[in-house]
Amino acid sequence: MRRQLRSRRAPASPYGYRSRLDDQDEVNQNYLADEEEEAEEEARVTVVPDLEEEEEEEVEEEEEEEEEEEEEAKAEEKGQGQPAGNAWWQRWQIVNEYLWDPEKRMSLARTGQSWSLILVIYFFFYASLAAVVTLCMYTLFLTISPYMPTFTERVKPPGVMIRPFAHSLNFNFNVSEPDTWQHYVISLNGFLQGYNDSLQEEMNVDCPPGQYFIQDGDEEEDKKACQFKRSFLKNCSGLEDPTFGYSTGQPCILLKMNRIVGFRPELGDPVKVSCKVQRGDENDIRSINYYPESASFDLRYYPYYGKLTHVNYTSPLVAMHFTDVVKNQAVPVQCQLKGKGIINDVINDRFVGRVIFTLNIET
Amino acid sequence: MTKKTLEIYSVELSGTKDIQQTDNGNGKEKYRGLKNCFEPRKNHHKEELRKEVDLDDHKLSIKELEKKYGTNIITGLSSTQAAELLARNGPNALTPPKETPEIIKFLKQMVGGFSILLWIGAILCWIAYGIQYSMNTSSSLDNVYLGCVLALVVILTGIFAYYQEAKSTNIMATFNKMIPQQALVIRDSEKTTIPAEELVVGDIVEIRGGDRIPADVRLLSVQGCKVDNSSLTGESEPQPRSSEFTHDSPLETKNIGFYSTTCLEGTATGMVINTGDRTIIGQIASLASGVGNEKTPIAIEIQHFVHIVAGVAVSIGILFFIIAVSLKYQVLDSIIFLIGIIVANVPEGLLATVTVTLSLTAKRMAKKNCLVKNLEAVETLGSTSIICSDKTGTLTQNRMTVAHLWFDNQIFIADTSEDHSNQVFDKSSGTWASLSKIITLCNRAEFSPGQESVPIMKRVVVGDASETALLKFSEVILGDVMEIRKRNHKVAEIPFNSTNKFQLSIHKTDDPNDQRFLLVMKGAPERILEKCSTIMVNGQKQPLDKNTAEAFHTAYMELGGLGERVLGFCHLYLPADEFPETYTFDVDTMNFPTSNLCFVGLLSMIDPPRSTVPDAVTKCRSAGIKVIMVTGDHPITAKAIAKSVGIISANSETVEDIAKRLHIAVEQVNKRDAKAAVVTGMELKDMSPEQLDELLTNYSEIVFARTSPQQKLIIVEGCQRQNAVVAVTGDGVNDSPALKKADIGIAMGIAGSDAAKNAADMILLDDNFASIVTGVEEGRLIFDNLKKTIAYTLTKNIAELCPFLIYIIVGLPLPIGTITILFIDLGTDIIPSIALAYEKAESDIMNRKPRHKKKDRLVNQQLAIYSYLHIGLMQAVGAFVAYFTVYAQEGFKPSIHINIRVEWEDSNVNDLEDSYGQQWTWYQRKYLEWMGYTAFFVGIMVQQIADLIIRKTRRNSIFQQGLFRNKVIWVGIASQIIIALTLSYGLGSVTALSFTMLRPQYWFVAVPFAILIWVYDEVRKLFIRLYPGSWWDKNMYY
Repeated sequence: MRRQLRSRRAPASPYGYRSRLDDQDEVNQNYLADEEEEAEEEARVTVVPDLEEEEEEEVEEEEEEEEEEEEEAKAEEKGQGQPAGNAWWQRWQIVNEYLWDPEKRMSLARTGQSWSLILVIYFFFYASLAAVVTLCMYTLFLTISPYMPTFTERVKPPGVMIRPFAHSLNFNFNVSEPDTWQHYVISLNGFLQGYNDSLQEEMNVDCPPGQYFIQDGDEEEDKKACQFKRSFLKNCSGLEDPTFGYSTGQPCILLKMNRIVGFRPELGDPVKVSCKVQRGDENDIRSINYYPESASFDLRYYPYYGKLTHVNYTSPLVAMHFTDVVKNQAVPVQCQLKGKGIINDVINDRFVGRVIFTLNIET
Repeated sequence: MTKKTLEIYSVELSGTKDIQQTDNGNGKEKYRGLKNCFEPRKNHHKEELRKEVDLDDHKLSIKELEKKYGTNIITGLSSTQAAELLARNGPNALTPPKETPEIIKFLKQMVGGFSILLWIGAILCWIAYGIQYSMNTSSSLDNVYLGCVLALVVILTGIFAYYQEAKSTNIMATFNKMIPQQALVIRDSEKTTIPAEELVVGDIVEIRGGDRIPADVRLLSVQGCKVDNSSLTGESEPQPRSSEFTHDSPLETKNIGFYSTTCLEGTATGMVINTGDRTIIGQIASLASGVGNEKTPIAIEIQHFVHIVAGVAVSIGILFFIIAVSLKYQVLDSIIFLIGIIVANVPEGLLATVTVTLSLTAKRMAKKNCLVKNLEAVETLGSTSIICSDKTGTLTQNRMTVAHLWFDNQIFIADTSEDHSNQVFDKSSGTWASLSKIITLCNRAEFSPGQESVPIMKRVVVGDASETALLKFSEVILGDVMEIRKRNHKVAEIPFNSTNKFQLSIHKTDDPNDQRFLLVMKGAPERILEKCSTIMVNGQKQPLDKNTAEAFHTAYMELGGLGERVLGFCHLYLPADEFPETYTFDVDTMNFPTSNLCFVGLLSMIDPPRSTVPDAVTKCRSAGIKVIMVTGDHPITAKAIAKSVGIISANSETVEDIAKRLHIAVEQVNKRDAKAAVVTGMELKDMSPEQLDELLTNYSEIVFARTSPQQKLIIVEGCQRQNAVVAVTGDGVNDSPALKKADIGIAMGIAGSDAAKNAADMILLDDNFASIVTGVEEGRLIFDNLKKTIAYTLTKNIAELCPFLIYIIVGLPLPIGTITILFIDLGTDIIPSIALAYEKAESDIMNRKPRHKKKDRLVNQQLAIYSYLHIGLMQAVGAFVAYFTVYAQEGFKPSIHINIRVEWEDSNVNDLEDSYGQQWTWYQRKYLEWMGYTAFFVGIMVQQIADLIIRKTRRNSIFQQGLFRNKVIWVGIASQIIIALTLSYGLGSVTALSFTMLRPQYWFVAVPFAILIWVYDEVRKLFIRLYPGSWWDKNMYY
């Protein structure tokens, strides 16, 4: 049998020398003739079991494909302009099934068990992460003193701020219309509540002027504060003139230096305040009365020991009474701190050692 | 002339269009170009693209031709005529495929990927400024700057991507440069040499062996001319040409030479009948451009990834826009939040990184002889699941080599490796001495002169393939063949012809004592045997009896069954008395005996497989890649080669093999038992697409033999229907549609035609199949590494996004600015993410299945969840700790942060109290905020170092992978640190960048979290390795 098969191949064996040239076709035909014969014989035998198997497989494949399609649909729910209506309904069903599949009791392609496992694991993961963070923050607080900030360079040199402050540094008001300046008066009154003489006398001590009020001792001890009485501000205290001069077009503006823990102005002459017109005619302001008359922040109000222990500390103030400002025109005013060790010309920060505001008083 | 259409072949393309060309037969031939029309076909299941050529010049006589083209075969065209025709028909050159204009390419880069999102961000910035400006003319220009920065980022990354692409196309451009071709033409009765481009229809050209045929020519007179039509028809055998009309089909007839095919030997004169794009090859080349380029898998993956990230960015952005508006934020603020969220979410540098990574790999592959034209094809090769490979030249060495010898009743194996180094058969036998003499003498092939220094196997030989093989074989074994031939002077010779089927020559011997002439003969074994009455065994003449004849037949069958070309050799010493030294041999009258010769032996030749191919095929197999051989060769040869390289593995059988083994008819064999199949082109032609699908799914080892290059396209489409990523090799022009259609077309660098190279995505410089496999390896590695890069890049997005979300909801001072985010995305993170491209594979990547196009995504759920919700969150937390540390040490404890935002950002509030009762001006706060940005930035950077280290592997421990094996990673880490230091200490004073100096201790705040990330990931990998297939593995392995 074997030999027969071989000899059947024999004429087809092309690799004799002769095949080198144009016999190729002939050889090819021989080969093909063989194949055709086989094909014919093949056709007579039908193989039933094979077909069944194939069908089964095909069904499986189809299922897989469907699954794939589902996935695709999930992945890109945007849809690409397929025939509307039915297709959209199908899509919606697929999405719906993805969200909650009643048959497999799955939501978002996970069973309840799987979901609970995930939740538990994530709970533990995030809980331990939170624990780590807590630990870190705890160690952080261990290194930080509650009385004294670790670094204070950033907040030095001190900034300057004025009162009344109503979210703007432009004072526009009409003397004859109280509505336009009433809120300044309320703001000032509110601000000065803490400076009431009675309160100051009750809570704070009267310490000697011209020198630091240094309180050594334990950090956590409560510190005493020096009195700064409202009455120091004379005409701008609101005691005699409850409208702080706004009703007469002579507004009072209070100036304070920002608190900085441990900050001490240099010894000698105290820090003074001086105001002038920032741009324009020097004479637009004409006269300013400062209260206290020294227009300075006394050394006894320094140093500041921090919010926690220096509870009743009241920042010293300087009131500027603009008694004769040019009316009906915006007057830019710059008030600067002057003194040893005071910086008032930082380009980027227009509130370090100085403050600029405009007065626009209408009559 | 009656209307007649000649069908030459059909090309199936997208299956929707037919291209048809018809002759309307007006006497004067008229080309209508390629026409598209629908033509339903009855005998085929689907409409197919059909190409019909109305060439009938081969049927015309010379006189008719002269009349038709107005020329004269003796004098040629006049130069005026020629100039006129040239002006009318254009130069004889193929129009290069249409190139996308550079500006379009550039603009595509500008709007692709995340660019759109960033443009939206930039435009929102400007809108925000517009709103601000309309409310307050002195509003700050911050938003304008941010908008400009975003626009700049888009433009720069766009320019970068464009530059990368242009660079890789430039490699191609240099590669594509062709040497201008010359043609010898008769014009004005004079032979002149002109550039082939200037040829016109009607020109009379002369073609010599070695020339490329300069246009489609009708041959007028021919002397032993053979052409290599393989680039057109895929037939590797040289085709003889003659001036007679032999076949109706212009492709089959012998009197036409086709443009771009090569004339191997002989000379011919012909008349140009078609030039340029109207040549057959030109028409096919233009067909290729009709096949749409498939999107590369990596492009799909990246698009998928862009969609995910953009989706996340837009949905979070819009969600928080709504939240912000409902929290009573101003619309303007909400828009700014939206910008921040978009910028935080978009990995700006990633696409550029991907491009760099791909081009790095492309360079690496070029070193391994895979020149990648299209960067994205780098990865495509990695996801390949089916390779349809050519046989000749790719799997084989593309030269005939002596494979077996039979003499002394024994089969000997000759070494067929590339250098023939060790020939181990028995050379002591006297039969071998005689046989070697015949091999040497009865051979007309010669080495081209001047190649003494070239290794024998690489020398150029004049002669046909078999003779070349024999020449080289004998040169290797015997030494200087030309010298031996000189010593044995040839006195007469009958060259091979197809009627004789033998070649004969008569020599004087080099033995001075022997005055006899030696007659040597070789030829088709059965013809040789017929002429013999004796046979030489062990150097002794023996009568040729039945037994020896039987042995001969067995050997002949065995060698033929191996797909080898067998030659028989015999000789005869002519008796000195009958043939004295002065005897004149006359080859025409054959005045010498040609029968009763002495049979010496058989020699069989094959185009042997390249020695690296079997390994490569095994690698493919273990990598789950199906290798399909597609060849124009005979099925037996194809099968033999397939077996020897392992495409058909040793223990698998075809249906025919089983039938043979069991001695039953082929039809009775259960088809399921056969793993392998050899399918011929004829069978394929009759198959329906369903049958082809069935064939492709049911058999794991398939060889397509005797296929035309057009059928390759059908095979490719069949494979693609199986959802496979198909790589196809090809060299001929006719392969170009298949190359285009394939997911990755691989053209041969040496044998490939320009059209094939144009259509391909990759060029194999050494034509070696093994190079494809190394390419696959690189491609898989790049996919893994891209995954790592993306995971690395995505992680920090959460750390960048969280600050914005918390800022909106809790109202703390902004922890990180938009510009700072850009410095992470485009500064510190760029080099590390590229460094991941240099990561070595974790395990043998060639031992796993190719990735499933739809299931194994580049960015999958696990990757996104693990990056975003695990490592990303840890990073965010770590960076927040750094941020809080800075604020707390400066006076703002975390508790005071809640809802501080409005006052914090109000530039009129200049006495904001901190936790210690200190009062801050706006600018002081701003500076502190920048310190916060820097601290947050440094926090992310420090943790990204840990992230980079953990991303080195996905499954293995870092310590298994080796912490220091990838040096580039450390370069990346160093770059991160240096960039961060420069930004903080060098550019800390430039306010626009919002970086500040940072106290040294703040650089270490996030270090514990970095360590935590590393440890956590090691634990994750440990569990993955310990419990493969578990819940953990499924959910945590990306």
